[in-house]
Amino acid sequence: MARSSTLRNVAWLWLAATVVVLVYGFRQAIFISPPEETMGDLQRIFYYHLPHAVFGLVFPYVNFVASIAFLYWRRRDPLKALTADALAVAAAEITILYVGITLGTGMLWGKPAWGIWWTWDARLTSELILWLLYISYVLLRRLSPTGQTPTLAAILSIFAAIDVPIDFMSIEWWRTQHPAPVFGPNGGGIAPQFVTAVLWNLAGWAMWGIFLLGLRFALERRRQIAEQDAALLALEASLETPQ
Amino acid sequence: MTWQTFFDFSTMAHRHLVFVYAGVLVVQLSYVGWLARAWSRIGPR
Repeated sequence: MARSSTLRNVAWLWLAATVVVLVYGFRQAIFISPPEETMGDLQRIFYYHLPHAVFGLVFPYVNFVASIAFLYWRRRDPLKALTADALAVAAAEITILYVGITLGTGMLWGKPAWGIWWTWDARLTSELILWLLYISYVLLRRLSPTGQTPTLAAILSIFAAIDVPIDFMSIEWWRTQHPAPVFGPNGGGIAPQFVTAVLWNLAGWAMWGIFLLGLRFALERRRQIAEQDAALLALEASLETPQ
Repeated sequence: MTWQTFFDFSTMAHRHLVFVYAGVLVVQLSYVGWLARAWSRIGPR
């Protein structure tokens, strides 16, 4: 009980700190950071697009690691496997959210910048495939009635994780419409006047993503425990001797 | 940039900038709302 209360307090404190960082990041992005030379104010879309794109490639690996842990524990320690499965579900949904926002904000940037909403270049296509893979992961979990669903979903997540490095490297491996890499050895880097706004928004959306991950994980554990309680009650009821 | 220029809808670039900032917040908060609804439907432990 005391542990649960401490966790709740930590979650509220984390949320408060996240809101402060996001508000400050918004102020940096919109009011403090100067307009970019060629794109003007349109470049400010980047401050929301980039963090979602970066963490949209991190959360799939949380899902991947949790899925591997689930596969390892599912026969050895089913209770640990359930916890890993809850983390995998949480990470998959947050991947959909972050990758979906990346695609949406990218399209809203693309129309005024390129004159087109969408092009089938390697980066955009691999990002769309990643989103569709995680949509199929969540649909599989929701619609499949068998007891093997978490195992099937964990195997699907291994295939989904393969798309992440392809997505990340696509702008290095192929000539694309998408701008060149920002980070890494071949990255173009960020001009010093934009760095503060980028870092505050990266921090804010990372903290928000971790908060969502924790909240969704707690929800899934609550659902699992409610399901176990219901199964136990049904079992007890079936064992009662009729009078 | 000021609040007035942020909400200047005269160009496509500015309109899309506001759509991004408003859209991201709406989508993220909708997801939190969906989680809160699911939480309340499972019931207290």
